[in-house]
Amino acid sequence: MSNPAEWVTERLPISGDQLRELTNEPVPYHLKRWWFALGGTPAYLFVVQIITGILLAFYYEAASTSAYESVRFITEEAAFGWFIRSVHKWAATLMIAAVVLHQMRVYFTGAYRKPRELNWMVGMFLLICTLMTGFTGYSLVYEQLSYWGATVGANIADTVPVVGGLIKNMMLAGETYNERTLSRFFILHAAVLPVMMVMLIAIHIMIIRLQGITEFQFKDELDTDGKAATPKTFNFFPDHLFTELIIGLLLMIVLSALATIFPATMGPPADPLVTPEVIKPEWFFYVAFRWLKLFTGTAAVLSMGFIVFTMFAWPFIDDWIRRKTRFQEASVWIGIVGVLAIIGLTVWEAVVKH
Amino acid sequence: MTASKHEPDDSETQPERRKFLTTASTVAMGAGLAGGYGAFGAIAGRFLYPARPDDRLWQFVIEADRLGLGDSVLYRGPSGETINVTRQAEAGDVSDFIALSSTCPHLGCQVHWEGQNNRYFCPCHNGTFDPAGVGTGGPPGDSGMSLPRYPLRVDSGLLFIEVPESQLADATSRETATGEVIERAPGIHAPGHDPCLACRPTDDLKT
Amino acid sequence: MTLETKRFIIAALGALFLLSLVFVQWLEVTRKAEEAGLRQAHVAVPASSKSCVDCHVQTNPGIISHWEGSTHAEKGVACVECHQAASKEADAFLHYGVTIATVVTPRDCARCHVTESEQFAASHHAKAGNILASLDNFLAETVEGARLDFNPHSPTPGKAVESVNGFASAFSGCQQCHGSKVALQSTDGGMITTDDLAPDANGIPTNLDAVGQIVRDDNGRPLFHPGTWPNTGIGRLNLDGSRGSCSACHSRHDFSPRRARQPENCGKCHLGPDHPQKEIFEESKHGVAYRDLKDDMNLDATSWVLGEDYAAAPTCATCHMSGHKRNGGEITHDPGERLSWTNRPPVSLVMDTDINHAIVKVTDPEQRRALIVDTAENKRDRMKLVCSHCHTPDYVNAFYQQYDDLVILYNEKFAKPGQQIMATLASQGLRSKTQFDEEIEWTWFYLWHHEGRRARHGASMMAPDYTHWHGMFEVAERFYTELIPQAIEIVDHAAATGKGAQAREVRAVIDSILDRPEHAWFREGAEGEAEKIRKEMERRYGQGLKTGP
Repeated sequence: MSNPAEWVTERLPISGDQLRELTNEPVPYHLKRWWFALGGTPAYLFVVQIITGILLAFYYEAASTSAYESVRFITEEAAFGWFIRSVHKWAATLMIAAVVLHQMRVYFTGAYRKPRELNWMVGMFLLICTLMTGFTGYSLVYEQLSYWGATVGANIADTVPVVGGLIKNMMLAGETYNERTLSRFFILHAAVLPVMMVMLIAIHIMIIRLQGITEFQFKDELDTDGKAATPKTFNFFPDHLFTELIIGLLLMIVLSALATIFPATMGPPADPLVTPEVIKPEWFFYVAFRWLKLFTGTAAVLSMGFIVFTMFAWPFIDDWIRRKTRFQEASVWIGIVGVLAIIGLTVWEAVVKH
Repeated sequence: MTASKHEPDDSETQPERRKFLTTASTVAMGAGLAGGYGAFGAIAGRFLYPARPDDRLWQFVIEADRLGLGDSVLYRGPSGETINVTRQAEAGDVSDFIALSSTCPHLGCQVHWEGQNNRYFCPCHNGTFDPAGVGTGGPPGDSGMSLPRYPLRVDSGLLFIEVPESQLADATSRETATGEVIERAPGIHAPGHDPCLACRPTDDLKT
Repeated sequence: MTLETKRFIIAALGALFLLSLVFVQWLEVTRKAEEAGLRQAHVAVPASSKSCVDCHVQTNPGIISHWEGSTHAEKGVACVECHQAASKEADAFLHYGVTIATVVTPRDCARCHVTESEQFAASHHAKAGNILASLDNFLAETVEGARLDFNPHSPTPGKAVESVNGFASAFSGCQQCHGSKVALQSTDGGMITTDDLAPDANGIPTNLDAVGQIVRDDNGRPLFHPGTWPNTGIGRLNLDGSRGSCSACHSRHDFSPRRARQPENCGKCHLGPDHPQKEIFEESKHGVAYRDLKDDMNLDATSWVLGEDYAAAPTCATCHMSGHKRNGGEITHDPGERLSWTNRPPVSLVMDTDINHAIVKVTDPEQRRALIVDTAENKRDRMKLVCSHCHTPDYVNAFYQQYDDLVILYNEKFAKPGQQIMATLASQGLRSKTQFDEEIEWTWFYLWHHEGRRARHGASMMAPDYTHWHGMFEVAERFYTELIPQAIEIVDHAAATGKGAQAREVRAVIDSILDRPEHAWFREGAEGEAEKIRKEMERRYGQGLKTGP
């Protein structure tokens, strides 16, 4: 045994060069523009969520009798518990925001078009998983709003024709919220959904690697004669990694700032007998919540299902429009209308009481 | 960030300065990353580490004069530690009393008082301690281990002990996180019996 | 951007991240420190009282819940520590293996709170029970009620009333503030009080015959006379011979210092037509400031020293009892220690007190000097120390000048003359010995006991409306339009019914009073007065008072 490096390579026959080769995908030059790094942001925040989530799970108890008290213990008594919990809460908020921004970027740059339709759909699954994780996580605190949010959510699912009752029963482990409900939310939040997301993220990245990232060229990167003035790509390692590190640190600073300035608090504990006067879900469900108030019952749920389905199938619908009509940029206008509608509904829900 | 065309290297021009910059920036970056994430790791570690050794509180044990010379009570603190509180003199102040953990410092067995031998005895490995808790024989005696001692205080004839606070939050009621006397030497008057034999809240109010 | 730049940016951001976490650490430390102060203290149920708590938390959860919030609970003082009794005590009984008594007296509290009990025992508060043989008591027991049980005169639908308790007004009225004479039921149908038991220095009864007559229930628990217990009157006369009730101010079972610091606590008794101290306080600048700044009063603090822990406003306790920075934070449980006048009697007296804390009433200076242990001036100086936390010496001294002047004006112009007239009427046999059977006796009582006190208390605590409209104005009205006319009527009646000599005596007293310059206007008229005032104003300000628009 001559030196440690050799000892390792003998048993693990991978060399540093090979590793570098494996990871060193040439990165398109447009990723030098920061807003193209929005895909990495939710990935980074996902890691933050896993770490803080594991920490919180050390103290959390998923039972209706002790859940609130254990969250109170984390928030008020455990050393730095309030900080960890606040970071977890804010990272969730930022993660959802980043996912939405990333999706908007992909949408408006048309990056979902052939041959990347499948990855768009994987992304849609990731979006839904993220939202479901947010929903189940919110329910775990077992304060008034989480309890009633979960109840309302389950009853919305109930209005879906045919399978609604099944979904509700599967969600709540019974007809109503009961003492076995919380452990379902917990296992979904802490095991099922994260594992699904890890797999989906792996597929997402794998497809990117297989297909390469969509390349863009911007006007200011062109010389006056129209030829590229910049190289088409640059190295992932170390250049782009550094960019990601910078983004990561910036996110950590923003997170600790948010956690200290607006720490997560405790509402009143869940009371199945009293529904609070003002009941709201987390902000990212405002859109859906307002939509459900605009239309009623099954119509609302079905229309929402239809919208989600349209989003899934959008690459094909868009392709059909572009082939069959002369509106080549229809997606942009539809997107703008969609974004404005989402913002409008969210703000509407945010400013009114009921 | 778009203008830097010569990304790979212009090191030929100023090789020395270039090298220094690379080393310095790498070291700084390493330090920055280690400092930031290291601190986060430290916070996470602190979050998981359960003990809060500075959180101790005074708890009432028994009225001082109920404990006669040589009497001893077994007291359980809020965090579950068991303590022998014994009266060893009758000077009338706190120095009469001694509070010793009943947990052997060797391997955690419960020691008990042997009056005839004037010592505490641990049945696991024949460890013995003198009345002040100093190890005299067996493994504790060999390695000079003593029974941990707890501070006591007498206030208005009431004996108090300083014990660690309970670390676990209790979901049902916080007041259960208190210590209590769990065993009395014979002769010490125990108050009351089954407390609720006569709970007749409504009958009492009827006239 | 070069790689170097990026590396340096990473280094800088890493440092910033570290910095933000240091800030987090700082927050954590502050939070812990704050919590240590604010956190609800852990309640320690001592083993001795564990079974009491276990049972009573079911039967009387309010008692336990109150106690759990108390400092007692925090320090491990629970049921048995206060309620324990020696088996020889008159009201002791065995309760699930522990000998306890229902009523906790100052003697019990004194087991721990020695200084407080001594101060309280020396105070006028502890003597509040003395009223039980006084004019006020006569009012409640005889005038308002009857010193006997009498038969109802017609049925009360829905309730079988067998007899009327003539003491009801005294029990529910006077004695709830002044304190009852706690009594046990006797086998002969009467009451057994401390007088019958003749307790020794340790509170153990010496009259065993009386003890033998105590009525007990099946469990051996003595039965209290329901008129005398429940009672938290401050001068309660307890079975063990002690006086007072600590829970009058430190209400059981949380014994909250916070509550004792607030004026509402004193307001259980110090209010109403005869001594509206709480209303007076509320009218004063002190009370207004308190109401506004209550949140800054630090009422929950363990230590509540004026000038250290708070200075926003004073409450009753601040001036009369609490510790302050200038006296080293020393609290007194004798509120009389800082009072220089007593405005309780018809004529205010200076609070020069003797060794028994009684007011020295002799007039001879030599005798006074020999008897006085604590002078009124000393007491006033103690109060001035409190004032001086917020007011300059000149301000405080001038206030006391205003206060003294008002008290002396009342004393000299109305109280002493009134007293003289009433005394002369009695000595000349023109009014009966029985109080309140003649109109003039009610008039005089209103004058000093209600209106006169309002005026003096109002001046003592800076409430102008109470000093004037509720006070001196009504004193004057009562004096000129009721007391004097009623006295003259009695004189005239006496003269007409053959008591000419006596009538002349009283008439002379009335005349001599009304001839005094301060009363001259009443007889001679004051037509010249307005003109005099106008001239005086002109001299002082160079212009006359405007009359009319």
